[in-house]
Amino acid sequence: MKAMEKQAVTHHTYVIERSYPTTPERVFAAFSDPAKKRRWYATGGNCEVEEFEMDFRVGGNERTVRRFKPGSPFPGVALINHTNYQDIVPGQRVVIAYTMALGEKRISASLATFEFSPTEAGTNLIFTEQAAFFEAADGTKMREDGWRKILENLAAELARS
Amino acid sequence: MQTKRRRLVPSHRVNIDRVFHALGDPTRRAMVEKLSQRPLSVSLLAKPLAISLAAVIQHLEILEKSGLVQTEKVGRVRTCSIKTAGLSIAEQWLDERRTTWEQRFDRLGDLLAEPDEN
Repeated sequence: MKAMEKQAVTHHTYVIERSYPTTPERVFAAFSDPAKKRRWYATGGNCEVEEFEMDFRVGGNERTVRRFKPGSPFPGVALINHTNYQDIVPGQRVVIAYTMALGEKRISASLATFEFSPTEAGTNLIFTEQAAFFEAADGTKMREDGWRKILENLAAELARS
Repeated sequence: MQTKRRRLVPSHRVNIDRVFHALGDPTRRAMVEKLSQRPLSVSLLAKPLAISLAAVIQHLEILEKSGLVQTEKVGRVRTCSIKTAGLSIAEQWLDERRTTWEQRFDRLGDLLAEPDEN
């Protein structure tokens, strides 16, 4: 009981690097153009996009509402991102602060930095996310669902062997 | 600044054969599901299961050895709980988060591979 009642915050920093065979300006345009950004950022995965609004300027906000599809870990639950643009240097970097909420509960708050640098082959993208995950935000329901999924996966694995 | 690389294999990796064996039994799976909701005393855990207390204790021993469940005796009550070390939700979220961004950057690559429309 004690462990479950603890209001823990877990901090994580991680980096993802990618290179794209195109100019930093074109990569940057995929961030500044709402139609382009919607395609790579909001669409895909096991969610339907319900809302996507962005105001691409320093201090501007962005809101994304996605809903988990049937058969996903949390069918019908909304996944909501609130983003605020902290810094924008065209062709060089975009810095955002964002929170993510699952239904009514915020699960994390982050600072995320996208850095674009030109290379011979095109553009390097370095993404750094510094996140605070709110452990207590998961609630019993999510822990339960998480475990159910693990158990179902294991059952499926066992059925195969 | 410290960066954390994705671990392909969790460092807490329990003996997978034991875990499979432990979860291969429907009664033990029911016990794990119950305990994933909240910790319970052995008697409360046993109550909805149509088996003897002795059988429950045997099942618990197997679950404990597999590293899925831990028990702790306080006074005369033995409490059972899920052992979440390494399986913490925060850890799962981090993995999920990284995967989400990786998929996004793959889609960005696909988008950039298309010719500009103008």
